[in-house]
Amino acid sequence: MKTGFKRATVPLALLTLTTLTAAGCGGDSGAESKKVTVWMYPVIMDPKANAAYWDGIEKGFEAKEKGVDLSIEQLPWENRDQKLATAFGSGKGPDVVLLGPDQIPQYQANGAIQPVDRAIGEARDAFRPNALEAMSQDGKVYAAPIYHTVTSTLYNKKLLEKAGITEPPSTWDAIRAAAPKLKQAGASTLDYSASNEASLNMSFYPLLWQAGGKVFDDGGRKAAFNGPEGVEALTFLVDLYKSGAVPKSAMNNANLFTDQALGKQQVAMGYTNTPADAVLAEKAWGKGNVIVGPALTGPGKQVCFGMPGGLGINARSKNVAGAEKFIAYMVQPAQIESMGKAGGFFSPRTDVTVPNDSTYAKEYQEALNHTYPGEPNPAARQLMALISPEIQAALTGKKSPKAALDAAAAEADELLARQR
Amino acid sequence: MRKAATDEVAPDEGGGLPGASGPPPGAKDTGPGGRDGRGRPVTGAAGTRSRIMRRREALAGLAFVAPMLLLFIVFRFGPTLGAAFLSVTDYRLSGEWTFIGAGNYTRLLGDDLFWESLGVTAVYTVLYVPMTVALALGTAVLLHRTLWMRGFFRGLFFLPYVTSIVLAAVIWKWIYEVQDGLLNASLGVLGIGPVDFLGSESLVLPSIAAASAWKGFGYSMLILLAGLQSIPREVTEAATIDGASGWQRFRWVTLPLLRPVLFFVLVIEAILGFQVFDAMYVMTAGGPVRASYSLVYFLYDSGFKFFDFGYASAVGLVLFLVVLVFSLIQRRLIGRDAD
Repeated sequence: MKTGFKRATVPLALLTLTTLTAAGCGGDSGAESKKVTVWMYPVIMDPKANAAYWDGIEKGFEAKEKGVDLSIEQLPWENRDQKLATAFGSGKGPDVVLLGPDQIPQYQANGAIQPVDRAIGEARDAFRPNALEAMSQDGKVYAAPIYHTVTSTLYNKKLLEKAGITEPPSTWDAIRAAAPKLKQAGASTLDYSASNEASLNMSFYPLLWQAGGKVFDDGGRKAAFNGPEGVEALTFLVDLYKSGAVPKSAMNNANLFTDQALGKQQVAMGYTNTPADAVLAEKAWGKGNVIVGPALTGPGKQVCFGMPGGLGINARSKNVAGAEKFIAYMVQPAQIESMGKAGGFFSPRTDVTVPNDSTYAKEYQEALNHTYPGEPNPAARQLMALISPEIQAALTGKKSPKAALDAAAAEADELLARQR
Repeated sequence: MRKAATDEVAPDEGGGLPGASGPPPGAKDTGPGGRDGRGRPVTGAAGTRSRIMRRREALAGLAFVAPMLLLFIVFRFGPTLGAAFLSVTDYRLSGEWTFIGAGNYTRLLGDDLFWESLGVTAVYTVLYVPMTVALALGTAVLLHRTLWMRGFFRGLFFLPYVTSIVLAAVIWKWIYEVQDGLLNASLGVLGIGPVDFLGSESLVLPSIAAASAWKGFGYSMLILLAGLQSIPREVTEAATIDGASGWQRFRWVTLPLLRPVLFFVLVIEAILGFQVFDAMYVMTAGGPVRASYSLVYFLYDSGFKFFDFGYASAVGLVLFLVVLVFSLIQRRLIGRDAD
């Protein structure tokens, strides 16, 4: 047995090695400069519609730009950054890739992407300033916006009426005032998501911004969310939670609508709901019971979360000219319109309105003017994993809002100091 | 007799767990006067021939296990070595890395979060293992006694085990819900509650452990049932004749004879307890306030939220050591018993 194993070891090891090397060498060797590869993600939720849309874009572009071979590859959202970073790192990335504002700082800092200002050209002034700013670093634009998402308030009319509330609460004060009335009517007031897997962009940050606060200081190297505004925002939330105005189920909610208190008509309103949520609400509550309101107003300002999605260029692209041509094609009004229509998005350009036959198009279009995409920082995503548990500690009463935010800020500063 | 019990256990386990299966069938010494692989008597004069035969047999055996062995090397052994290597580096997403020696490990020892998650995991295991084994033993004894529709009940009890853990966790989340959850609605009828099972720091671990026990007891139940069935009837009969009551028979005859199987089950469940992640990921995301933040959750966050792959690998290796210690204890005790 032993000898047999020894003898087999070498060939086995060699076989393993060859398998590994083969896997390592496999990869595209698309060096022809005429070719432009694009990494796209399921931005249109229906897979068939998504495939059909990008197929059409490929044909449309190639018909216009003769001699450029466009190849749009579809990737899943899962492990998006891991795949992209590995590809960039090994010099094998696509020429063009879809990027969100929170991805740009880290890739720009690593020199993995290059500016797209030339590709945007004169369309520059047509973009929403917020959208363009979200995609910029050091005064240069790193991704050309092709769509914009939006969230806003969503109300259950039946529950409001039951509590005798005629005007949907659109400010913090109005929410505080509505809470006892709704409690009388057997409902909670405001839904929230405190799960560690919930993005803070859709839970705590909007409250922080509404209070006038910021997540990072101006240099982006220190936490700022534990300032007086942050404490005010968390106190607002904790008070509501303790009185039952924010439902207990919020503790394990991860920005979901269906099967959560809002979807099940146990709570009267949400403040970070997407147009998709409104469609679900129509199905769950009945059409007449859904109200989409303006972005929530706090003591500091009126603001909601929403961000652009855009196209960036690989710093090591072998066909920058082709990549720029493709981006220039995608930011034209016709494409912005078709993209928005297919994906249910809004326009990142002020001069283009995506035709939208949804009942709430007007309300969301209005909320779009108050969207904020979050503060760009390479550690933005990681910071959330540190803040979430502390917010939970404040909600359960284990810590005061101030103590909880200070504890999170101490950890955050450590994380930011560790950034390379 | 005890050996028979362990042998019966072996084919069921299927997970390739070290030490549980006893000596491999091919390892039996076929010396002079024994029988070779084809059942022919081997004479002393054919010593050399038998050695050649044995070598051939070994090669044939190797050929049979080669596909599995190759898979094991490529997908288990290789990555494990890779993780060990990663754990002494500062590995960046871009593929660049620097050797930092024991840096990750010293950081780990000073990281409160690591100790917190290790504590959570230990408490969870202490809750989960007794719950699971008690449930498994109870159902196994019931099944052993029942003859009526035994197959049906065995299948029924085993069903949760083959259910996806994510699905089970989602259903248990509904059961535990504060408002109108099944459990709270039932407690409400009795005038108790509502109890925030998953939102309270003290209740969250027992609640998750109970859900996991429900999901996982079927496997141990089958093993214990096999153990029970291998206990010879004469022994219990003798005890009955001696005037032992039902409980006395169970406590002083059945349980001691079941000991090795029970111990195997305890260790396997303890190892599973230490690896807990998915139930927490789905039910609480580690909350509230990290009260259900397990060691594997800490590993997951380090790797996939903080992109700190070296650090995550160090956590993985610590977990590996913990599980290894359990396996070694199990191997020692079971091995000794079988001799």
